[in-house]
Amino acid sequence: MSVHRTDTTGSTLVNHWQYGVPVYDEGLITPTLLFFAGLAALGLVLAAARFFSPLGPFSGMNDAYAWGIWKTFNVMTLTALGSGPLAVGMAAWVFNRKKLHVVMRTALVSGFLFYATGLVALGFDVGRPWNFWNVMLPWRWNAESAMLEISICMPVYCCFFLAVENLPMVLERIYYTGSDSTKAFLLRWAPRLRRIYPFMITGAYVLPLMHQSSLGGLLLLGGNKINPLWQTPCLPLLYLLAAALCGLGFVTFLLLMSSLRYSRPLDLGVLGELGNLLSWTCFLFLAVRFGDLIVRGQFHAAFAFDKMSLLFLLETTLILVPAIALRRRVVCETPRRLLNMAVLACLGGLLFRFIPTTIAYMPARKASYFPALPELLMSVGYIALGITAFGLAVKYFAVLPGEIKDWNYMFRLVRARRQAVARKGAEPWPASLSTR
Amino acid sequence: MSLAINRRQLILGIVGAGGAAAGGLAKSAVAMEHPAHPVAPPDAVGMLYDNAICTGCRACMTACSEANGLPPETAAGMPLETALAAGLWDIPADLNAQTKNIIKLYREPDGAGFCFVKRQCMHCLDPACVTGCPFGALNKGEWGAVTWNSSLCIGCRYCEVACPFDVPKFQWDKWNPKIVKCEFCFDQRLKKNQEPACTDVCPTGAVIFGKRADLLSKAKQRIADARDKYFENRVYGEYEAGGTQVLYLSNVAFEKIGLPKLGSTSLGHYATKVTSVIYKWLSGPLLVGAILGAVIKRNWNRHEAERPEHEKQTGLRDQL
Repeated sequence: MSVHRTDTTGSTLVNHWQYGVPVYDEGLITPTLLFFAGLAALGLVLAAARFFSPLGPFSGMNDAYAWGIWKTFNVMTLTALGSGPLAVGMAAWVFNRKKLHVVMRTALVSGFLFYATGLVALGFDVGRPWNFWNVMLPWRWNAESAMLEISICMPVYCCFFLAVENLPMVLERIYYTGSDSTKAFLLRWAPRLRRIYPFMITGAYVLPLMHQSSLGGLLLLGGNKINPLWQTPCLPLLYLLAAALCGLGFVTFLLLMSSLRYSRPLDLGVLGELGNLLSWTCFLFLAVRFGDLIVRGQFHAAFAFDKMSLLFLLETTLILVPAIALRRRVVCETPRRLLNMAVLACLGGLLFRFIPTTIAYMPARKASYFPALPELLMSVGYIALGITAFGLAVKYFAVLPGEIKDWNYMFRLVRARRQAVARKGAEPWPASLSTR
Repeated sequence: MSLAINRRQLILGIVGAGGAAAGGLAKSAVAMEHPAHPVAPPDAVGMLYDNAICTGCRACMTACSEANGLPPETAAGMPLETALAAGLWDIPADLNAQTKNIIKLYREPDGAGFCFVKRQCMHCLDPACVTGCPFGALNKGEWGAVTWNSSLCIGCRYCEVACPFDVPKFQWDKWNPKIVKCEFCFDQRLKKNQEPACTDVCPTGAVIFGKRADLLSKAKQRIADARDKYFENRVYGEYEAGGTQVLYLSNVAFEKIGLPKLGSTSLGHYATKVTSVIYKWLSGPLLVGAILGAVIKRNWNRHEAERPEHEKQTGLRDQL
């Protein structure tokens, strides 16, 4: 079933997203932004202090639960939400869902921020970061280690491929705010960037296919310690599918929330397409999940109704409900319902990624783990850092999708405001910055 | 100061780095063999611990701490001086960051009987910690001893997650933390042709040192000599997790004394059997890249063909 929606004349909700447009009608600094910036600052100050301290006082980790939420949540779980560039990008560029191109920037910026903050989390989590220079010496690589694959692949993806994918958006701002010589320079280089761009996006899909599956592969060595409902040779594939599911779900969620926050009209054709793809991804995930349980003879354990079985059922229900509901056109096209379903799917995917790392992880010796306060604050701080950066990015850059008439209106507004303040120099863009 | 690198040098540099990377992968590809049931190399040494003989004197613990230069551990929160004054000085509760070897007491819940168990690294034939260690800080070297190299370890603690026996310990209270585990006294004694401190000092012969093959036949002889004396009439470590170089005979259930029930397949085999095929010479990623690249290039070319018309219509430049 495909979701198509023809324009309803006079509706304030149904519109066409055509072009990325910065948020230009509000100031850069808002109380919400300051709140998240404060949380981020607290987290980063703690992280800096952690660098001069052993791990012990900063975390609830112990020898039985040697991985805490910095790894298991900020990296192994949240980069699933940051897989929008992979999931939406592959839908747009590989499977030719052309209408999704307009939401790529939302996916790219959020994905970059999830990865970047995840890498920061990793940097302060490892105990001997100064030895990481060994990554420069390939003969020291243990190529069979999933940890090695991740520690090379993830930074390269984030700092190179994902950064290059985000580059046009940054250059666009420089172009519109820059001097004539800057413009001429950028115009000269634009064709070269376009020439390498298809290769960059190819790399930007191959690498996360590798490390998103390797994140699941990490847990294979955990062996018996992980409950058999989650410990399976299919973990890498399931982690990858959960990333696709969370990526699509989170981009849908983010678009709806941002449109609400910044009073943007919605394009239910695009959102409905995301909902449609999300539904199929959920079904694919569930098919592999149940197929695997049946092949391994663990199907009965899923319905034993003990603690692990209930967790499994919760996680599965959270994915099954949106899978079924989003098959109905009315759900895909009702923003509130679509938002609910996207949230459920994301929660289900996140639970699947988090449970085997911690809740269903049962070391041989009796021990327990709960994150310490600084550990929690740092974890929250990294997330707040991402939110702060996103709040700034939507105003600095043309991230969120809008209409071409919005874009043109923004420029008229800028011109009018510039005349009003009678300020000379480069044209301020976006307008929100001209008041600061 | 300018960094003068011309295009030629840059390309040479990239090719060189690529070559080195390929070399690294090639070297690892050779080592990427993880049979499901590894066979012990002929020089593999081992320990055999028999808790029917152990009297729990803990001489092995003292000897281990001395040989490895490990500080004594006092009761939680008790300063060392206080502990020494009380005559107590090394009372660890379990293996930890200053205890590589421990004798623990097991008492039946009904109080009817008790026995001891010695715990230290099992020196697996195919160690999960070595398979997971990203830069090879943990290494299975000569005689099969699993050792740790401080200059390669990034402190990711994957070894602790991977080890089915919960052996490697991390120094949570150190700024420059080490991974602490039994290394078979590799540097301290094995290299000097001496047996490990614990087996050397054991007064009763409860733990003995030797070639793994010899110890295995010795253990089987003990089982044959006294049927049903030992739990399940078998040697723990012969097959567990693909086999270990430390072997156990126990007169109570292995699970009761903290030796986990494990399958006979090596974890390294389980974890790498699929990825070692996909990642061999990076063929999988390259193949996927080639297919995706071809499709993307086709769609990209179509996009670029439609672009001028679209840009003319909207009056705006195409956004990527």
